[in-house]
Amino acid sequence: MTAVVTTPAAPESVRPGGLVARLASRLAKSVGILALCVVCVFPVYWMLVTATLPTADLFDRTPELLPRPGDLAVFGDLVSGTPMLRWLANSTIIALGTTVISVAFGVTCGYALSRTRFHGRGVLGFALFVTQMLPEALLVVPLYAVFAALGLLNDLGGLVIVNAAFVVPIIAWMIKGAVDGVPAEIEEAARVDGCPRLATLRFVVLPVIKPSVAAAAVLAFFSAWNEYLFAATFATADAVKPTSVGLTTFIGEFATPMNVVMAGSLLYALPAVVFFMLLQRHVVSGLGAGAVKG
Amino acid sequence: MTVAQVAAPARRPARRAGGFGLALVAPTVLLLLLVQAYPLVEGLRLSFTQTALARPRAGSYVGLDNYAELLADPRLGKILWVTLVYTVASVLGSLVLGLVAAMVMNVGIRGRGLLRAILTVPWAAPGVATALVFIWMLDSQYGITNWALTRLPFVDSYQRWLNDPALAMPAVVAVTIWKVFPFAAIALLAALQAIPGELYEAAKVDRATALNRFRQVTMPGIAPTVLTLALFLTIWSFRRFELIWLLTGGGPVDATNTLMIDLYRESFRNRQLGYGSAIGVVGLVLSVAAAVVYFVVSRRLGRRYGGAG
Repeated sequence: MTAVVTTPAAPESVRPGGLVARLASRLAKSVGILALCVVCVFPVYWMLVTATLPTADLFDRTPELLPRPGDLAVFGDLVSGTPMLRWLANSTIIALGTTVISVAFGVTCGYALSRTRFHGRGVLGFALFVTQMLPEALLVVPLYAVFAALGLLNDLGGLVIVNAAFVVPIIAWMIKGAVDGVPAEIEEAARVDGCPRLATLRFVVLPVIKPSVAAAAVLAFFSAWNEYLFAATFATADAVKPTSVGLTTFIGEFATPMNVVMAGSLLYALPAVVFFMLLQRHVVSGLGAGAVKG
Repeated sequence: MTVAQVAAPARRPARRAGGFGLALVAPTVLLLLLVQAYPLVEGLRLSFTQTALARPRAGSYVGLDNYAELLADPRLGKILWVTLVYTVASVLGSLVLGLVAAMVMNVGIRGRGLLRAILTVPWAAPGVATALVFIWMLDSQYGITNWALTRLPFVDSYQRWLNDPALAMPAVVAVTIWKVFPFAAIALLAALQAIPGELYEAAKVDRATALNRFRQVTMPGIAPTVLTLALFLTIWSFRRFELIWLLTGGGPVDATNTLMIDLYRESFRNRQLGYGSAIGVVGLVLSVAAAVVYFVVSRRLGRRYGGAG
């Protein structure tokens, strides 16, 4: 036993002191991981807890820390007492429109950046990167003037255009990265067989990069779903307000109790959180790749 | 983040087909021209005009008056200072917390996929929902934060987090870090995992201390990622709008009035698009400067560590 302990080359774990140290470090890491999870999830959990409270209990000096499952009356108040359903419908329309346009544009653009040579290709690649740096708050002022002239204020289509323009550069980079990874031989084989180039993209390349396209679609959908600044500035009429803008009308207004506000926030946040959790590997690595490649 | 796998160059680009490529990128180019390039130019133009929000097409040219007014505005110094404090604090905080989280996660535990998914929550949650729940949690009377803090033995008074000029900035920075650090953590975790284990083995054989291992092996390994992250976090912080706007609206007494918030207030509250645009142009110049600094530093660092940068 002692021989093992004193052997200089023995791995640390064999030494008794090392074992204790290792256990301690394990414990510290477990505590750290637990703390990390609590910090990340707590605000969403707190939306749930607050949403399940009856209005009368909101102002208790000692808050309840557990949700009351079964007490979902507040969701009824949300649907009947606020325009939540219309907001969600508007958000869905804007997000779907943004997804269709930005994925279609992003896929063709990303493919072209990866596989074709054309005049100004380098400039375009750089421009896509630069758009990531332009502050939206800076563009919102002139865009307001442009959209006012084009009659695109208070218009769901106008918001689709803006959202698509801000997410297309990221998608184009994601798709370029994905197409870079597809062996060119597949396409050449198809072309030798007489397949037109656009059909090659559609029927040969697209199926291979499907996971990236799915990730891009989720990113596009929820970047529009989550967007606030442009919607708040351009969609001032009640009929076109999306959820992001609608929910903020509750701030500083006391008619709507906090349990209803939190129920709305939860309904609004949950789809984004769930989809990003499921696809985080694709979305985050795609984002990172796009960012770094710039 | 796939820092290591930086763009494999397009393999064997199919024949010269300029027309085909141009046709494919044309829709995107048009969209970007309409929504990004033209407004940028228009913003520059507006900054030389006096234009009321109600009649955005009917401004009159005033030369450099907006800039002169902005530079003479005693509030400008405070706005820039607030922007700097917010940016530096939230970037540093996110990087440090992200690195700690990444190192905690960088052990052979089961369920790392689940952990990564949980880390996605703050980043995925819509800004508006985030702002609303934090407004509630930080509520001065009924918020869970005050209740939880006063359970501690040395805290006995409730704070007005978002309404106290001294506390609003820390509160807004904390919410920002909550939202942003997971992105840094996931990127840094990927970078940590890309460091070859043999380097640590070798350092151990050389009996390097933990601190030395960190400095000699970990730091060079993650330096390119840290740098890229720092740039993006800086740009994001600099242009961040909705969280600050919804949490405090720039107040109390301008304590969280960053450049972007002030720009929006001038344009849409004080209804002066020209003056607002001038602030925006100053903001643009500053973010371009940040990018230039990034490229210079990354080139230097790339030379020092001889690799990606």
